This record gives sequence, structure tokens and C-alpha cells, in this order.
Amino acid sequence: MPRLNQRRYEQRLMVAMSIYVVVLLLALPVVRTVASIPLKGMLAVAPALPMLYVIWLMAQRIRDSDELEQRMHLIALGVATAVVAACSLVGGFLATAQVLPIDGSVLIWVFPLMMFCYGATRWWIARRYGSDMSCDLAMPMHWRLSIIAAMMTVVGIFTYLRRDVLDAGIFIGMGAALAVLALLKLTTYLRRRRTTGQHGNGR
Amino acid sequence: MPGVPSMNNHVRELRGAQGWSQADLAERLDVSRQTVNAIETGKYDPSLPLAFKIARLFRQSIESIFEPGIES
Repeated sequence: MPRLNQRRYEQRLMVAMSIYVVVLLLALPVVRTVASIPLKGMLAVAPALPMLYVIWLMAQRIRDSDELEQRMHLIALGVATAVVAACSLVGGFLATAQVLPIDGSVLIWVFPLMMFCYGATRWWIARRYGSDMSCDLAMPMHWRLSIIAAMMTVVGIFTYLRRDVLDAGIFIGMGAALAVLALLKLTTYLRRRRTTGQHGNGR
Repeated sequence: MPGVPSMNNHVRELRGAQGWSQADLAERLDVSRQTVNAIETGKYDPSLPLAFKIARLFRQSIESIFEPGIES
């Protein structure tokens, strides 16, 4: 089986995430109006399919990493698992005691929370090892953040059109925050290019 | 997580002598550029198989490339 390099990984990830957003926007508004239970189930599960593919891609990426990268993946996944497990446990007990009104839909945040913790920990560890992860990315970080910000904004607008103002505010707010982060990254990127004249290749 | 660096190495000097960039060396060792950087800066001690690979690439013994640091 050919090794999955960074460029191919990012291309496939971007395609999967785009499909996820499209399926989410198409399936979710319909799911509440459909009467047939099997169809309702299929529509509800449909957005999860591209995300399952993303998990499989991540597994491939970790398998094809070198020893230091695997070590960083392991630590990051360990931290992410610990944070999500702790949150679930505390939330579960609070819900059982009826202190916190939590319904099943909160489970939708488990995967994003896990990925956020994983990404943040990897970034932190990479810095501790003296490297900037963004140097090795096939697509510069500011582009990556801009695309995610655009996706969030699109989802926010669709949510707003469905008159779900709270969710729309969350998505558009996250999109705006990511756009600001993308601008900051772009500034750093341009400044670094100006000082080094090129991408640092470690000569 | 980088603990206390336990070894010093001459990878950067050897790479420089060959006129290779970190990316060139990374490609020859089949690792990422950030791994080469972490080894050169002493933030990561490579595994034994990778140390052997480095030694073979530069046609030197492991002991002449890697030596115990102050901590060990």
C-alpha cells in the first residue's frame, strides 16, 4: 500500500470535509420533516460517513508517520482522550443528578472537542520539539484556516436561514474567530518570508 | 514530550559537510524534516534503528556521531 504523504492527506481531508458540510446542510433540514423512521435514521447518519473516512485517513497518516511524529500523535491522542473522558464523566454525573440538563445531542460535540484537544496538543508538543508544524504543511496554515472559516460561515448562514439564531451565532462567531486567526497566521507567514527570503529548508 | 536531552550529536556538521539541507537528509532517512531538526538541536534522541541508519548514511560508527551528554 503506498504511503500517504502530507499533500495527499490534506487534499483528501479537504474533500471529505467539503462533502461533510454539503451533506450536513442538505440532510439535517430534511431529517426533522421525514416521517419514515429508516429514512430518518439514514439521513441522520449520512453526515457521519465523511467523518468516518476522516478518522480512517488519520489512522493512515499516523501509521505512515516517522517515530517522532508517532510519538507526538500518541501524546496528543492521549491528552485528547483524557480531556473528553473527564468532560463526559463530569457531565454524566451532573446530568444524572439533574444539575445540568443535557440531552443526547451533546454527543455531537465529542468528536470536535477531541479533535480540538488533539490539534492543540500536537501544536504545543511540536513547538516543544523546536519545530513549527506549519512549515511542513502542504497547504499554508492561513489558507487552511480561511477555508475552515468559510465553511463555518456557510453553515452559519444556512442555520440562520433555518431560523436557528443561536446556532447561527455560534457558527458565524467561530468562523469570524478563525478568519482573524488566519489573518494573524498570514501576517506571520509574510513576515517570515520577508526575513528569510524563502521557506526555511534548514540549510 | 522532550525530556532532558541525554545525547549530543554531530548530525548537523555531517549534513553540512555533505551540502544537504534538512529536507534532503530527511528524504534520505525517510523521516520528516521536523524530526531531523529535533535530532540536530538535541531535542529528540533517535531510536536505535534510526541512529544506525544515520551512521550508515554518513559511513561512520554510531559512537562517533552520538555521544553521551552531560546528564548521562
